[in-house]
Amino acid sequence: MSATAGKKPTVDQEVENELYKKRQKIYPREVHGIFARMRTLAMIALLGIFYGLPWLQWNGHQAVLFDLPARKFYIFGLTFWPQDFIYLALLLIIAALSLFLFTALAGRLWCGYACPQTVWTEIFLWIERKVEGSRQQQIKLDKQPMSARKFRIKFTKHLIWILFSLWTGFTFVGWFTPIHELWNELIHFQLGPWETFWILFYGFATYGNAGWMREQVCIYMCPYARFQSAMFDKDTLLVAYDEKRGEPRGPRKKSANPRELGLGDCIDCTMCVQVCPTGIDIRDGLQYQCIGCAACIDICDDVMEKMNYPKGLVRYTTERALEGEHTHILRPRVIVYATLLLILFGALVYAIATRVPLELDILRDRNTLYNETDEGLIENVYTLKVVNMTNRPQKFKLDVEGLKDAKLIARSDLIEAPPGEVVSVPVRVQVDPENLPQPGNDIRFHLESLTQPGLETTEEGRFLGPRPEM
Amino acid sequence: MQKNPTIYKEQQELPTIQRVVSVLWPSFLVASLATVLFFSLFDPADLGRLAGYPELTRTGGYTIGFFAFWLMTAISCGMTCYFRKPVHRPRID
Repeated sequence: MSATAGKKPTVDQEVENELYKKRQKIYPREVHGIFARMRTLAMIALLGIFYGLPWLQWNGHQAVLFDLPARKFYIFGLTFWPQDFIYLALLLIIAALSLFLFTALAGRLWCGYACPQTVWTEIFLWIERKVEGSRQQQIKLDKQPMSARKFRIKFTKHLIWILFSLWTGFTFVGWFTPIHELWNELIHFQLGPWETFWILFYGFATYGNAGWMREQVCIYMCPYARFQSAMFDKDTLLVAYDEKRGEPRGPRKKSANPRELGLGDCIDCTMCVQVCPTGIDIRDGLQYQCIGCAACIDICDDVMEKMNYPKGLVRYTTERALEGEHTHILRPRVIVYATLLLILFGALVYAIATRVPLELDILRDRNTLYNETDEGLIENVYTLKVVNMTNRPQKFKLDVEGLKDAKLIARSDLIEAPPGEVVSVPVRVQVDPENLPQPGNDIRFHLESLTQPGLETTEEGRFLGPRPEM
Repeated sequence: MQKNPTIYKEQQELPTIQRVVSVLWPSFLVASLATVLFFSLFDPADLGRLAGYPELTRTGGYTIGFFAFWLMTAISCGMTCYFRKPVHRPRID
């Protein structure tokens, strides 16, 4: 093998060289068409949500705020606490399952239209095009030696990129700390060191990933790209080149009849390669680098139209359809994913709808098991933690249940808890020893809101006493 | 002479970007997950007080926590890559 390798490279070696060669910058050509418009729409919607939503106010606070410094999440009217972590976990599982379902059905729809990497790369490419010009102009500019003009153009591009990235970093931090306060701190140069750090960190990540790394993120970094083949089957929607129709490819005059020349419909104009953001040739078959953005579909349809050929030489299709069979949408894996998703989603909605935004924790005084009062009663001391997880102040009434004639002694009759606060309430409970059947007894604390009817909770604790005399 | 030249070649010629990414990126993802799990259980303000730094803000606590996790996971990923190198290196002429 080594003898032949010196003279003529084998196919294996060509593949290897291809894999290990230094990355060459890809200059995707601009493309127009129905899928390009859909991508732009998705981009505007998603970036609109990202940059706009933090500024929306709701009942006097930021509508959506994952307030990490205060350890509570606001989502419109709801407030979530670290105790509500289960909902977040459920939500993440639902998100993952949705991705599975959509992947099985529609392949890399997520990659092509919704992935932040794609969306931010698109906007960076758009800026690059506005500053440097078309694909041809960009290639020409990069080949030129450095000149005042080239420097000016490159400088402008990077300046806009960096400003945009910083704004992105600022917005990112604004999802986690109140953005209006953050803005005030920013314009008065009073940003905290950690906030500054995260703005720069996220800004740098945006600039690096969308400006420089681009398709390499999808190829080398994205775990989803690697494991999605497990979710693909022959009925999964994908972008593919119709080889039967296209081959043999070759240039020809518009007036020529390709059948007479022995040619297929592909005129080998390489437009599909030029528009590809990951720099592949869709005509080589399925490739994991393909992010399913459909840019090649748009451009090829244009070319087909100009040639007066039917559209769809490159199109959204399935492996099965390419083989001339019917595509099945309802398949076992789709049904399983969809059922699981429905169950989990139902569980989440039910859990949030029936969620009681009130929590009561009971801590028994650990220093003494029990005291005996002068009247001969057995006394236990507790600290109650009342968590008001609603958005308004509450007044609570506290009762004890479960032990006969139990007396509850607290500093005041009512417990007042401001919105979103934890209140510590020391209480004493006194019980006649005759009413204590055993040394350890269950006792229930019942907390009920007087401000908001229906807001109540019961928590069980232990009441300790002496061993009853026989 | 060359029992398994591909492994050696791979080690030598993986694109730098892929080598860097294979250490820094999985560790970043796992560190993010660990940070979320850890700080949903523990309040960094409490931890700061216990450790004797009452002036530490929560945002500061999260940041330090995240980078501490990232450092640990990156060391782990780095060691995995290091130990993947073949022990007996075939000579390439």
